[in-house]
Amino acid sequence: MILELKNIDKSFGEKEVLKGVSFVAEGGKAFGLLGRNGAGKTTSIRILMNVFSANSGEVLIDGAPIDYDKIGIGYLPEERGLYPKKPIIDQLVYFAELKGMSAKDAVKAVDYWLGRLGMTEYRNKKLDTLSKGNQQKIQLITALAHDPDIVILDEPFSGLDPVNAMLLKDVVKEQIAKGKIVLFSSHQMSYIEEFCDSIAIINAGKVAISGDLHDIKRNYVRDKLVVSTTKPEQIKADLGGACSEREDGSLLIQLASPDEKQAMMKRLVENYDIDEVKVFEPSLNDIFVEYAGAQV
Amino acid sequence: MNQFGKILKFELKGYLRNKVFVGITIFLVVSIAIVMFIPNIISAFQSDDEGDVTPSDLPTMLIYAEDESLRDIVKEYFTAAFVDYNVTAAEGSVDELKNDIIAGNAECAFVMNSASSYTYYVNNLSMYDMNTEIANTVLQEVYRVGAMIQNGLTPEQAGEIMSVQIESGTETLGKDQMQNFFYTYIMIFALYMVILLYGQMVATNVATEKSSRAMEVLVTSAKPTSMMFGKVLASCIAGFSQLVLVFGTAILLYNVNKEALSNPLIASIFDIPIELFIYLIIFFVLGFLIYAFMFGAIGSTASKLEDINTSVMPITFLFIIAFMVVMFSMTSGSIDNTAMRICSYIPFTSPMAMFTRICMSTVAWYEIFISIAILIGSTVGIGVLSAKIYRVGVLLYGMPPKFSTIMKTVFKKQ
Repeated sequence: MILELKNIDKSFGEKEVLKGVSFVAEGGKAFGLLGRNGAGKTTSIRILMNVFSANSGEVLIDGAPIDYDKIGIGYLPEERGLYPKKPIIDQLVYFAELKGMSAKDAVKAVDYWLGRLGMTEYRNKKLDTLSKGNQQKIQLITALAHDPDIVILDEPFSGLDPVNAMLLKDVVKEQIAKGKIVLFSSHQMSYIEEFCDSIAIINAGKVAISGDLHDIKRNYVRDKLVVSTTKPEQIKADLGGACSEREDGSLLIQLASPDEKQAMMKRLVENYDIDEVKVFEPSLNDIFVEYAGAQV
Repeated sequence: MNQFGKILKFELKGYLRNKVFVGITIFLVVSIAIVMFIPNIISAFQSDDEGDVTPSDLPTMLIYAEDESLRDIVKEYFTAAFVDYNVTAAEGSVDELKNDIIAGNAECAFVMNSASSYTYYVNNLSMYDMNTEIANTVLQEVYRVGAMIQNGLTPEQAGEIMSVQIESGTETLGKDQMQNFFYTYIMIFALYMVILLYGQMVATNVATEKSSRAMEVLVTSAKPTSMMFGKVLASCIAGFSQLVLVFGTAILLYNVNKEALSNPLIASIFDIPIELFIYLIIFFVLGFLIYAFMFGAIGSTASKLEDINTSVMPITFLFIIAFMVVMFSMTSGSIDNTAMRICSYIPFTSPMAMFTRICMSTVAWYEIFISIAILIGSTVGIGVLSAKIYRVGVLLYGMPPKFSTIMKTVFKKQ
């Protein structure tokens, strides 16, 4: 299954929030939707979920306009919140029913997920008696219980302790393995890097870059070298401004052009005590800062 | 439709599990039961004391006159006229008499200057003190009888003339406003209370979902029309069952207790003709719905629960004005005045105005029909509009938006 957003425009009053947003997400893979606060991620998600209608553009599944009666969508919103004063089982079953399940199936599915996330003991408790992390797990069930085809998780890891984060990772991997489209939106780049095969970075309502994460990294201009050495001082002194020290103690050497790569590598290996030298590949964090940071 | 049913069920369950809602209902039913049994309770206490009322238990009314024969005549007539008083001739001076009243030994006094002139002394003049009116009538009668005797009639003839009985009968061809007044009053008041109470509940319910951000998931799961209609109908069913329970208890206990409650006033309340009862239900349900939709739409524009009270103010005002117009017209007796006629066609006021006119005046069937038709049309229209406002409103956070802004967004082509 392939989900495609094509040239989505959306404005609220005078304000243009999305300007021709397009991206493609595939089933069985996780997709990262990145962008700074206010870039248009949530609006894109709401258009995808048919909460807002776009001014122009299309949402396609396998090339045809999406049929919301057939394609189930599960959503974990960034702004968490359910009914604080109602028993957990009641509201979870209600949400699953609203998504089209029968009462019986809903209870069964909710009980499965309560067990899966280790929350069975809270089944009949009121939501506001739970800790924040546990409330978040309950909220996750509203996104998963009806077995949706598309799972949208907005900042799923915020507020979770390492054990729960691990549990969530397993759940997410399981969903991906089932062939679902998993759409991540997060500012925690490490998680995106861990899960997502492809990404889109939205900046000020436009897609700044999108595609396969490996390709994006490969296509980066290869004009920097990362050098591990026991004696950085000597190299720094010889290369001057082209050389800077990184946080982990390794050196980053800026080349005048990518063509100089071989020559510089040779020079380094022959003249200095080098442990390792490689071409610099940016982390997702670096990419994000470059593409999303340009915003005013 | 399926979704609508699920929402309705969930919301209804919420009302039934709400301890405050259940508590209020039980309290009302118990209160009604107590009220209906009050006559029994009172008569149970009274039966022992009955017949023991002695003249000394009654408040004292003093009669003073320089002329002793005048004093005795007045005392005789007043004793017959003021059965609730122990009428006594005053001994001593006017000043002593005043002191007696201030000290509380006597409640009031008539100081006769002549047969047709007196001063009434009382410590605190009550709003409902009718003593001087009664005294005037009695004294006029005394004076007239005296005059007749002086002019040669025998006391018997004079007495006959004075006590002539006029026989009369009233046949009401339209509505008896006296008789209908009380149940109309009670029904209008019930409508007023229920709409304001439940309207607030609907608004709070929507705003709570919004402020707790449950809306974020809800809005992606259900259609706004289903949400709005489900919520409002659930509150309508809850409110209506509460009323049925309270009034049902009252009617049941009235029938059980009919003998003790022989007061014609109470009887008039329970003597609602069946067709009025049907109109009552129609106007009640429609009036409830139209206001509940508006309250729901308002609730969706508030980000915080605190905003609700100010946001609902225009609706509350509209409603209070309608209530005041109806109440003034009812008490003034001119039910069919121009304001009421206009109000019976405006959908926001017609539930109260038209119902009152049907109860207390004669309204042509086509007027009722037009009023109900306008009301039904408007209720559906307001319902759809409120669902649209809801869709726009629920995802707007921050300051409650201006009405014009919302309308612009709602009517903008999507």
